[in-house]
Amino acid sequence: MLRDIRVSCSPHISGPLSTRRVMVDVIIGLVPAMVAAGYYFRVRAFILVATCVLSAAATEWLCNLIRKKSNSLGDFSAVVTGVILALSLPPSLPIWAAIIGSVFSIAIGKMVFGGLGANIFNPAMAGRTFLTVSFGALMTTWTVPATISVEMPRIAQENVYDFRTQATPLGWSKLAIKNKLGADIYTEGQFKATIIGEVGGCLGETSVIALLFGGFYLLIRRTISFHIPLAVLVSAFVFAAIAYRTDSYAYVQPFFHLTSGGLLLCAFFIATDPVTAPLTRKGMWLFGIGVGTITMLIRIVGEYPEGVMFSVLLMNAATPLIDRLFKKIPVGGKPKL
Amino acid sequence: MKVSVKSRYSFGGGTHPPEKKDLTRESPIQAGPAVGEVAVMLSQHIGAVCRPLIRKGAAVQAGQKIGDCDAFVSAPVHSPMTGKVKQIALRSHAVLGRSLAIVVEALPHHPKRRPYFELGDDFDEEDYSVEQVCEAVREAGIAGMGGAGFPTRVKIEPNPQLPKETLIINGCECEPYITCDYRIMLEWTNQIIAGIKLARKASGCSRVLIGIEDNKPQAIEAMNAALSASAARENMKVVPVRTKYPQGGERQLIKAILKKNVPTGGIPPMIGVVVLNVATVAAIAEAVVCNVPLTHRVVTVTGEAIAKPGNYYVAIGTSVEDLLDFCGSVTQKSAKVVLGGPMMGIAIADLKTPVTKTTNAVTVLTKEQIGRAKFARRQTPCIRCGRCLQVCPENLNPTKIAHAVKNNLLDVAESYYMSACIECGCCSYVCPANIELTGYIKTGKIFKARQKQKMPP
Repeated sequence: MLRDIRVSCSPHISGPLSTRRVMVDVIIGLVPAMVAAGYYFRVRAFILVATCVLSAAATEWLCNLIRKKSNSLGDFSAVVTGVILALSLPPSLPIWAAIIGSVFSIAIGKMVFGGLGANIFNPAMAGRTFLTVSFGALMTTWTVPATISVEMPRIAQENVYDFRTQATPLGWSKLAIKNKLGADIYTEGQFKATIIGEVGGCLGETSVIALLFGGFYLLIRRTISFHIPLAVLVSAFVFAAIAYRTDSYAYVQPFFHLTSGGLLLCAFFIATDPVTAPLTRKGMWLFGIGVGTITMLIRIVGEYPEGVMFSVLLMNAATPLIDRLFKKIPVGGKPKL
Repeated sequence: MKVSVKSRYSFGGGTHPPEKKDLTRESPIQAGPAVGEVAVMLSQHIGAVCRPLIRKGAAVQAGQKIGDCDAFVSAPVHSPMTGKVKQIALRSHAVLGRSLAIVVEALPHHPKRRPYFELGDDFDEEDYSVEQVCEAVREAGIAGMGGAGFPTRVKIEPNPQLPKETLIINGCECEPYITCDYRIMLEWTNQIIAGIKLARKASGCSRVLIGIEDNKPQAIEAMNAALSASAARENMKVVPVRTKYPQGGERQLIKAILKKNVPTGGIPPMIGVVVLNVATVAAIAEAVVCNVPLTHRVVTVTGEAIAKPGNYYVAIGTSVEDLLDFCGSVTQKSAKVVLGGPMMGIAIADLKTPVTKTTNAVTVLTKEQIGRAKFARRQTPCIRCGRCLQVCPENLNPTKIAHAVKNNLLDVAESYYMSACIECGCCSYVCPANIELTGYIKTGKIFKARQKQKMPP
């Protein structure tokens, strides 16, 4: 017999999706990139990912304790931040620096704003920026992937150096442009290497194939919509193509810009962070175009070889304005007052 | 079952909750419980509340008018059975909380099995004048039986300011679980056709479009067959529409079939359209041809927590408790009893709540389903994923409205067009953070109405 009658407002049924599921999907989408990182950078990749995830989770737990809020680790958003931060770090980064980055990401990037959903900037990119600004040298030291067995010129005694390093593909091209050597010389051989990921760079950004796999998984699962990735990639390509057409000697081919550096990681996993991206479809287009264009501005015109991090943060700051610009209008038009 | 038609007629947004119509789909309309007492609400529809026409202790006949009102937007109420007025007292009302009802103690009687008549193909609406139809509809107390309960006479009667040209018959029944309209379309097909013709004549519409979701191929077939058998069927057409919630919403149905938008805050006659539910047109036929008032309606009693789900022809005023007992009672200790479907229905706390003209279903959800539903799960912060914006059939920004209401910023909420919300529940349904978006928006609308002092606190 019915004894306990429950009431609540409608609807009384609920779809299967949860925040945790969304976050787990993003983590699954990042697995190919993590595997590629493990393949090319071996134990360093594992150490960095584990460090970042653990310290991010610990920071979130501690912040909730201080704020006297209930534990929010269950939504896995801290894990996502940790993974994305780790994948955007250079493999040779010391563990203590990774911990500082993770703590900054969660504590300053997210929790001071009020936790998940309230942060203005992408937490992982905030942490990475903090590291770049604080430890510039560490953040621009690029390890040669373990699969490459080139003899490095010995600059010191054997066993003194920790890592063999090289410049990233974008670093090469930047150098080439600066020295008026002709960018194409350096990029031709590297184009194939960027597809499979056998180049220097951040942990997770090197392998195009792995990132595309993960990105398509998210698209198929509808965890992300195609608008932002497409807008980022197309606008970046168009910008690079214009630069290449104006001076093909000074600038690298546009495709090279898409496959190298963090552009794919950004397009599928960083710029699509729902919290810091616009809500409306039109807003997503504008946001994506902004990210792609600013990235290319920094890469081609600016001094840095890579600009994904700053472009995402800049567009994050513009997100509330974009949302206001593209306000939804009811299907029946604006009501007559 | 084969799905023979896939329709391209649809609207933007919407979602696909599990249909769950199999519970009662094959259950024919049966006579409802023989109850000893009914409580006929004096407020059963949108518009003015009726005042009682009889005193306590008076004898009433089945079909006697017991409550009426002089206001334009109103409909009278009738006693469903012969008996004595026991009292005029407050009863729980699904929307208004508590409201006056006339409690009729019935003489021993047998529940009605079928509507009064079987119409042949020789029915001719020319036998009835426009005034006759409108008057009969008004006197029978017919109000929209799909949910909102707008007095039908006001909808169909000719209005020189807003001439009507298209009559849309709503047979979508997009809510999960509910099958009463489906059964009516299968079993009372001719009656519906007759009602459509009468409504067409009264409203002066030149064409009739019958919208049915494409998950009901048998209903589409039955209506098509009845149409082709009937006389004067020119400009009448069945339009299969895509199965998607809330396809049965008036504005969504018009958008799907006519590709026209009803202005925000406006009503369908502004674009020359009238929308009537299939159960309503069946009642119109009954009222006009047999002069029988609306005292019974088909109610789907369904849900996983009910022993004998089915479609029943129930006296209006029957308490939900009697209805549930008749259907083998609730099999669980803990459940949620919802008047209507799970997406837009209202959960009731008092099982003595009587069935009204707008009660199309009683859905009893199990504890497990309640556990999966929003309020039992923890609400987490909005991650701005934008899914609510994608599913909103009215193209609103539910998360912005809900958060504005949450922070008591009604003007901000209104600047995101809060009042355009149709409260379909799609946003709450899809929200991964379990936020009661629809609940917040409903609350905001009530606050707004109180601010304008349209509603007592």
